[in-house]
Amino acid sequence: MQRHLILEDGTVFAGESFGAPATTFGEIVFHTAMTGYQEIITDPVYDNQIIVFATPIVGAAGIHAGAYESMKPTIRGMIVHDLAEVSVNRQRRMNLDRFLKQHNIPGLYHVDTRKLIRHLRETGSQKASIVDFADDHAKDQLVATVLTNKQVANTATVKPYANPGRGRHIVVIDFGLKHGILRMLDDYDANVSVMPYTTTVEEVLTLDPDGIVLSTGPGDPRVLPDSVLTLIRVLQTKAPMLGIGLGHELFALANDAELLPLSSEHHGMNHPIEEIVSRQMMYAMQGQGYAVDPESIDRNKLFVTHRDLVDGAIQGLRHRDYPAFSVQFFPDGAPGPLDATTIFADFFDTVEDYVEHVQS
Amino acid sequence: MSKKEVLDNASLQRALTRITYEIIERNKGGQDLVLVGIKTRGEYLAHRIGNRLAQLEDISIPIMAIDVTNFRDDVTNHDSDNLGLNSEDKMNITDKNIVLIDDVLFTGRTIRAALDALIHVGRPKSISLAVLVDRGHRELPIRADFVGKNIPTAQAEHIKVFVKEIDGKDAVEIIN
Repeated sequence: MQRHLILEDGTVFAGESFGAPATTFGEIVFHTAMTGYQEIITDPVYDNQIIVFATPIVGAAGIHAGAYESMKPTIRGMIVHDLAEVSVNRQRRMNLDRFLKQHNIPGLYHVDTRKLIRHLRETGSQKASIVDFADDHAKDQLVATVLTNKQVANTATVKPYANPGRGRHIVVIDFGLKHGILRMLDDYDANVSVMPYTTTVEEVLTLDPDGIVLSTGPGDPRVLPDSVLTLIRVLQTKAPMLGIGLGHELFALANDAELLPLSSEHHGMNHPIEEIVSRQMMYAMQGQGYAVDPESIDRNKLFVTHRDLVDGAIQGLRHRDYPAFSVQFFPDGAPGPLDATTIFADFFDTVEDYVEHVQS
Repeated sequence: MSKKEVLDNASLQRALTRITYEIIERNKGGQDLVLVGIKTRGEYLAHRIGNRLAQLEDISIPIMAIDVTNFRDDVTNHDSDNLGLNSEDKMNITDKNIVLIDDVLFTGRTIRAALDALIHVGRPKSISLAVLVDRGHRELPIRADFVGKNIPTAQAEHIKVFVKEIDGKDAVEIIN
């Protein structure tokens, strides 16, 4: 069945329907990753967004129980150039079409994604809608729609929970948490407590953490309550801290830096990222619409540790006085190259060092 | 004889990077900071850390190397002229925050010799110690402020640090 993608600026793209025949609204972004569509569509970072895939064929790997980044996908749609038809059988129990149907998420294929992406590169991200008919009514509806800015509240846990291990005690503040981070912490046998982002300093310190992780989130960090920044400002002085994605942006805001919207958002894994201190290069999955404004950094508080070699955007920060650091990209390699997983090794080295320092 | 690699190239780089960050953390702004490498491999490690600091801070931190042979406790002639420091270096030590850098911390006797040597030629504001490997078995009350990796060892084992500049690779091995 033919359905349509309409953009806020009035542009219309036709395509064939797959997944659920639902009508949805969301912010449209394009993703240049060539692998890992399952991780991307289940990543809470893409909450409330319609994702255009630049890679020409999507779906050939099916859907696997081991590759979810959240239990329930909350994207608003998936736009692809071509959809690989894969059979469902005893070995492969799920394919992309069925998966999207189950979660009531619409998809379009046979869309001219090259033209669409070229258009989006010029206009930047905007509101979009997947509809049956691209008539004036649908366009008016889209213009009138106000997208939620409560994405963190929509995806983050409301109750604390534990993911027990026998190693160091890591408290994760959940602003929207992709499973890759829990998987990485598991690699170090960390004893993990996940706390909602509404938690308090007292609650976290009562848990006696050896380290603190600020999770990846979705959305704009500036709409979160100031109490979050106060929480970070206090906790960064108490235990080693690692901020990722939105966690990085919040870490920057808590230390008086400011954010700028990126004119060309990063959604992919093909940007070389430089670790400034060693001049080494790595690749990692990126999903960011904002970047820390270099002009706004107070050099008495923070210094830049990583930068994007394509557009120079800041990719990593570190506090000058505390063992607290953050990365804009996703170092958990789910999906993506595994180069940056050493960020977790750095974090756990810092935790070990801190624990010994405190004990001695 | 058996040998086992305990730090590979990448982990060695990461260890030096972490030490660099920790030096910044504990020396606000890098003012009055001087890196002193203990010859032979400590000197190369001091330059590596110095290069890393320069990447981040846009300031050039003085790096020097000392030869502590004459200050060892099994040598009686303490001749400060053989430290390998020139007169300018000697002036640079007084009132500075010195980070002493060596590859392996073992009995602590080399570090004691280095402390004596430094204090013999100037009066630093402070001296801290950074080592790539702490293998334990101290014979003196000395500990490192910055440790790349703690590697518990047996007395009889030997730790060998390789640096690219003279050994052709970066690695740490335990040799039995």
